[in-house]
Amino acid sequence: MIKLEKLHKYYDRQHVLKGIDLTVEKGEVVAVLGPSGSGKSTLLRCINFLEEPTSGIVEIGGKRVDAATAKKKEIFALRTATGMVFQQYNLFKNLTVLQNVSVGLTSVKRMKKDAADKKGIEMLEQVGLSSKLSHYPAQLSGGQQQRVGIARALALDPEVLLFDEPTSSLDPELVDEVLATIRRVADTGKTMFIVTHELSFAREISDRVIFMEDGVIIEQGTAEQIFTKPAVERTRQFLGKAVQG
Amino acid sequence: MENLLDLNFLIESFPAIISRLPVTIGIAVGSLLLSLVIGVAAALIKIYKVPVLRVITSIYISFIRGTPLLVQIYLVFYGIPKIIYFLQSEYGWLQSADVNSIAPEFYALMAFSINLGAYLSETIRSAIESVDRGQFEAAKAIGMTPVQMMLKIVFPQALTVAIPNLGNMFISTIKDTSLVFIIGVIDIMGQAKILGSRGLAFFEVYIAVSIVYWILCIAVERLLVKIEKRARRYERGIA
Repeated sequence: MIKLEKLHKYYDRQHVLKGIDLTVEKGEVVAVLGPSGSGKSTLLRCINFLEEPTSGIVEIGGKRVDAATAKKKEIFALRTATGMVFQQYNLFKNLTVLQNVSVGLTSVKRMKKDAADKKGIEMLEQVGLSSKLSHYPAQLSGGQQQRVGIARALALDPEVLLFDEPTSSLDPELVDEVLATIRRVADTGKTMFIVTHELSFAREISDRVIFMEDGVIIEQGTAEQIFTKPAVERTRQFLGKAVQG
Repeated sequence: MENLLDLNFLIESFPAIISRLPVTIGIAVGSLLLSLVIGVAAALIKIYKVPVLRVITSIYISFIRGTPLLVQIYLVFYGIPKIIYFLQSEYGWLQSADVNSIAPEFYALMAFSINLGAYLSETIRSAIESVDRGQFEAAKAIGMTPVQMMLKIVFPQALTVAIPNLGNMFISTIKDTSLVFIIGVIDIMGQAKILGSRGLAFFEVYIAVSIVYWILCIAVERLLVKIEKRARRYERGIA
């Protein structure tokens, strides 16, 4: 379970997150929609402190971290409880596909190399890339790189997976393979938090949709509610043609 | 008739000069390794803007860049024994060190490490800063400590970027080691000088020693190309 309380983020004097309160239940898939600059990526990055919230509380699986007093150890605990998939994949360029997935296991979870490799291969089988173990990221397509990114995040058994616009840098023909992979992960019951521009995908995959603008959550509800009868005019405007009914 | 060159003397001087190659290579390689440690430390101090140390580092780099290597060698050669002696007599530290038994090679190694470290730090700093922010973020996101992030992800990528520059500086250092004879180290240059004065054939020995330096530098250059190729293997894309 993730719980965010009164999360604020300032960049200098710019108020990017204006007191976000949010609870995500175990196994829930939450999609965050909103125009560029609405703060949705910042929100995601505040959950694992890649951006330090200016104030507020992040709680994951019972670990409560207050931004005002966050210690290195607490931030580390949040990061091991979350897995992150980046817009630009951010695979470690100097490591092979298998090493990308196993490096967290050996260095962070202190697993033996053999066990880590075994688990890494298992993860890569799940994303359909077990034939590319010794390739380097530069030798893969964008879609393949992103699938490795998903395997890397999954390998550490995080309580929640954070997706930061996972398909936004992909060529259109590569989007589907990544969405299919995310869908398969969702089916395993993982708690997921997805910032995305793929409206139809968000509708299909998520249990709950959150619509953000200008640093606040304007509206949230089941995908069905948001896409068929949004309560707020701004949500209807943004979703445009995707709204039916 | 006067000969331009005593060719026999020139050729015969090679074995003696080459026998001193380990000294030249030892000082060059040793100071490269030590200066990498200094250079990485100085680079990190600058990147992380460590208070106080940052100022000291800036002064150090500025001083090394602004003074001749020859002067630096003398400073180390005359300075270190004085400092050790001072520490011994004033504080009772380093009692086991015998200033008179320190080999001149040690001073040469120190001088070159300090000198090269300053130059390397700027190269290393820009190489570390050239590593994509996303690499840092991904390492943090999976829970790596800063040390793990640096050792496993950032340094290997930065090193690849820095290799051509490091290589050029290493080759310069090999040539610069020809200065060490001034503090009594018998490297290939020192050996050439000795042979030259013994046979009164300086032109010959300096030709011989220049050939040895030349071949050494060509060999190192070749080696560097191979190392760079190997280090860059992960950059070869499908396109």
